[in-house]
Amino acid sequence: MTEKAIEIKNLDYSYPDGTEALCNINLDVFEGEFIGIIGPNGAGKSTLLLHLNGIFRGNGNSHIRIFDLDINDKNLAHIRSKVGLVFQDPDNQLFMPTVFDDVAFGPINMSLPKDGVEASVNDALEEVDMVSSIRRPSHHLSFGEKKRVSIATVLSMKPQILALDEPSSNLDPKHRRNLINFLQTLKLTTIIVTHDLDLVVQTCSRVALIDKGKIVAAGNTLDILRNKSLLETHDLEMPNSFF
Amino acid sequence: MKHAYIDEYSDIDSYIHRLDPRIKIISLFAFILFVIFTRPTSFIAFALYGVLIAVLFLLSKIPPGFILKRSLVIIPFVLMVAIFIPFFKKGEIAGGYSFGTLKLTVTYDGLMILWNILVKAYLCILSMILLITSTKLSNLLKALEKLKFPSVFVIILSFMYRYIFVVQDELMKMKQAKEARTTGGSRWFHVKVLANMIGVLFMRTYERGENVYFAMCSRGFNGKIKIITGFELKMKDFCFMLIIMSILTVIRIFGS
Repeated sequence: MTEKAIEIKNLDYSYPDGTEALCNINLDVFEGEFIGIIGPNGAGKSTLLLHLNGIFRGNGNSHIRIFDLDINDKNLAHIRSKVGLVFQDPDNQLFMPTVFDDVAFGPINMSLPKDGVEASVNDALEEVDMVSSIRRPSHHLSFGEKKRVSIATVLSMKPQILALDEPSSNLDPKHRRNLINFLQTLKLTTIIVTHDLDLVVQTCSRVALIDKGKIVAAGNTLDILRNKSLLETHDLEMPNSFF
Repeated sequence: MKHAYIDEYSDIDSYIHRLDPRIKIISLFAFILFVIFTRPTSFIAFALYGVLIAVLFLLSKIPPGFILKRSLVIIPFVLMVAIFIPFFKKGEIAGGYSFGTLKLTVTYDGLMILWNILVKAYLCILSMILLITSTKLSNLLKALEKLKFPSVFVIILSFMYRYIFVVQDELMKMKQAKEARTTGGSRWFHVKVLANMIGVLFMRTYERGENVYFAMCSRGFNGKIKIITGFELKMKDFCFMLIIMSILTVIRIFGS
């Protein structure tokens, strides 16, 4: 059996205004696995993602482990270098003036030496095919380019887990195709939060369906995505590729 | 998304553009100090400063029309502050007008102060335009950071540069969405709608700030932004600084 990369136990979370966002989430993700978190809008998918590197902490008995580390203040820096979180809106992910500064932000915070930083920036940009834009200001990139650079900003930290929030949203078919091809070459443990179910079919081996803050189904991708009535009760549709 | 530029001529390849940004900041700051501390009657000195900055502009290959347009934007503000001085300064009277009981007089001393403010402001503005248009803003910020400018200011400027276009875009989209549904209504109604839009924009900006902060934390932010610069002081950078400093000194000594 491969090692558990992520272990989530009894995760409860309410927003500061009291709205319950997540309720009793239990989920294990194994090393090297691709798992899709699917669910309708507002189901709590993105909130769940923000728990994976300790930005949100669950209430009470919640317990999250990343490899052999519990999420607590002492381990936070370490965990954040292990879990690469890519936000949905690339304008939030890219906050530095140029592409280089942005991709270098993580490695610099990990206290790498200067040439180490430059090397990892180059490697990461090469992986998403954006090396030629290294000196450009982030706000001059096209949306597709921003999405790719967003992924590079965490790849440069050489994470062991990649967590992507809606990676295919707003992408045109060609860029979406490139993204899927890219994901298929990845060797990392990857969590994809999305309602693009075709993308899930092509990349994920396992799926967890979340609705109203609860995991309502989890299991093999095809078993869940072929279950028409289950999907429709939770405001989803069977992927087009099944027809 | 529209491509907006703050530093639209920063990609030109010229001697000035290739200089180390730190050297440019120091040299042009020195230029400003020299200009400020020149006596208002040293007309030759001002002319020579003008020649110096013009030569630098020629070297930078920035289109003169652009420089003129940029520099004129600031003049109204300077005028607004300085235009009344000649009327209030006491001294030898250069001329006066009477409007019934109201008598306006202009003094030579006052005119001299006005000239002093205008010429100095204009020369300083030109040197700042040269600095900003010949340097990529991101490099300018890094240079400020390296020169030990308070990092809070540098960070604020850096986020402003990154997000001003994003916010502008958001406002534009909101405006379009509003116009697409506008079919009349009183003027007062539109003012109220505008007030709501500003509120919404504020909320969105606030929430974006929160999300950006999360994104920063996710990548190991711990309260201090560190950067890597590719800056390298070369011989020609030192030469440039020395030449500028010597010219300024010569103008200072012989121009007045």
